[in-house]
Amino acid sequence: MSQTLLISGPPGCGKTSWILNRLQNHRGPCGYLRLAGYPDEGLAQAPDGGIDLAYLQDQCPRLLDLTDLDQALAPRPEHLLALIELPQFQSPAESGLGGVDRRVIPQLEALHLRPDEHLHFGRDTALPRQDTLDFSSLQAWQRNLAGSVWDPASLSSFWFELVNGAYGDVYRAKALMNLPDGRAFFCNWMVSQEGSQFLPLQTIAPPDCRPERLSRLVVQGKDLDPGAIERTLADCLLSEALPHPSPAA
Amino acid sequence: MAHAVISCLHANHAALEAVLADIDQQGIDTITCLGDLVGYGPQPNEVVELIRQRAIPTCQGCWDEDIIEGLNACDCSYPSQLAERRGHLAHQWTAEQLSEENKAFLASLPMSLRRDRLLFVHGSPNSQHEYLLPNMDAFAALERVETAGADTLFCGHTHHPYVRELRDGSIRVRVQEGVASGGPSVEREINLPVRRIINAGSVGEPRHGNTNATYVVHDEATDSVEIREVTYDVERTCRAIVESGLPAIFAWRLRHGFEYAERADDASHVCER
Repeated sequence: MSQTLLISGPPGCGKTSWILNRLQNHRGPCGYLRLAGYPDEGLAQAPDGGIDLAYLQDQCPRLLDLTDLDQALAPRPEHLLALIELPQFQSPAESGLGGVDRRVIPQLEALHLRPDEHLHFGRDTALPRQDTLDFSSLQAWQRNLAGSVWDPASLSSFWFELVNGAYGDVYRAKALMNLPDGRAFFCNWMVSQEGSQFLPLQTIAPPDCRPERLSRLVVQGKDLDPGAIERTLADCLLSEALPHPSPAA
Repeated sequence: MAHAVISCLHANHAALEAVLADIDQQGIDTITCLGDLVGYGPQPNEVVELIRQRAIPTCQGCWDEDIIEGLNACDCSYPSQLAERRGHLAHQWTAEQLSEENKAFLASLPMSLRRDRLLFVHGSPNSQHEYLLPNMDAFAALERVETAGADTLFCGHTHHPYVRELRDGSIRVRVQEGVASGGPSVEREINLPVRRIINAGSVGEPRHGNTNATYVVHDEATDSVEIREVTYDVERTCRAIVESGLPAIFAWRLRHGFEYAERADDASHVCER
């Protein structure tokens, strides 16, 4: 029997980690959709830019992308576990499916998705209780890093500075970053949790050239200084001399 | 007699004034400076002039050398591309600000200073760029002190003060006598005397976990060492960094005094220029 779950919660509460765990423990086919969510008063949603999907597809190579209309119109495979992620700052007013934000329903219907269950971090005990923050104001900033390769030691310094407040009060930072040896890392940090996660992707790109996979940095916080972040990025990324991969590679 | 050793001033005038006041308050009138008077900080001329005015014997640090000779260190001097780009910015700014007279003073500084069996250097006896970290291999550390002919080596450069005693060192050698005739082998053990490395930390850019300036006081009569921490007006220096047009990240680093510091993978690597 197939199941469709809508998982919502504030930034950094652990939605994607929980979803990854469910996907890895499901024996049948799996699908994933990330909805953009809606800004709340003074609270900007960070555009994810495909980071979560790219990371989950790396970890679960047969993961179906539920935004794919062809797949939406095709008959659903049996025993499909469809997980829908929704960033949402405030706890829903009602429990269960009655608490689903009405604004997302047309999006789901267009993709032929109908949740069987809605779970919200901080409300539903079926989800782990994380130390989530009570946000009052939040800016978001993102940078597309496609084709960029980091000097590894510079990445380490930049990330340390970023999450320790050198560019504003950062509450949340996540990224997919390419290294010169062909590896890429999912970097993840949340102010309420100790330490950063640096998780290597399983897919390795050809070394010493510019990987063509998704690479992006997303930051949420207060009093962010995008100009200073940009200047530091320019000093951390390896020069344009690095070639793009040849078509045969 | 107690004497004070200061290092790594990094153009931080407020920190230097506070440290000198603390030394004066203890009635200590022998001070040695281990270099890096300039670099990263906003008051290079003021710091050099204060050292000259107080006639403090000073050896040359890596920043003092590079300001005079130009940035000719190889890439190994910087642990990352980011550190290198920022270092170049600071170098260019400092070179533009420093008066010719103060540059001439930095050029005149010796690589090391010696007082009896006490040796004073910036990085190590080998190079101003070499880091003698507290966890460096004991034999290598002992070699640095022993070959320099010192009992106690005072150094800086790491911005992290420490006192390290190197004791119970011995080398066991097996010598084969009359190899061709298959003679007996003789084992010899050479016991090495106690040696000590004292790192003075940093006056102007502390990285030991808080923002206080550090230096050391060594009492030759009792052979005791005290690492001293001195509070100073950090915000005054941070404001001056930003107002001078130096990268604001230098102020952020100073304001936090993070223990984290960038270092080359092989800290003991000696640049062959």
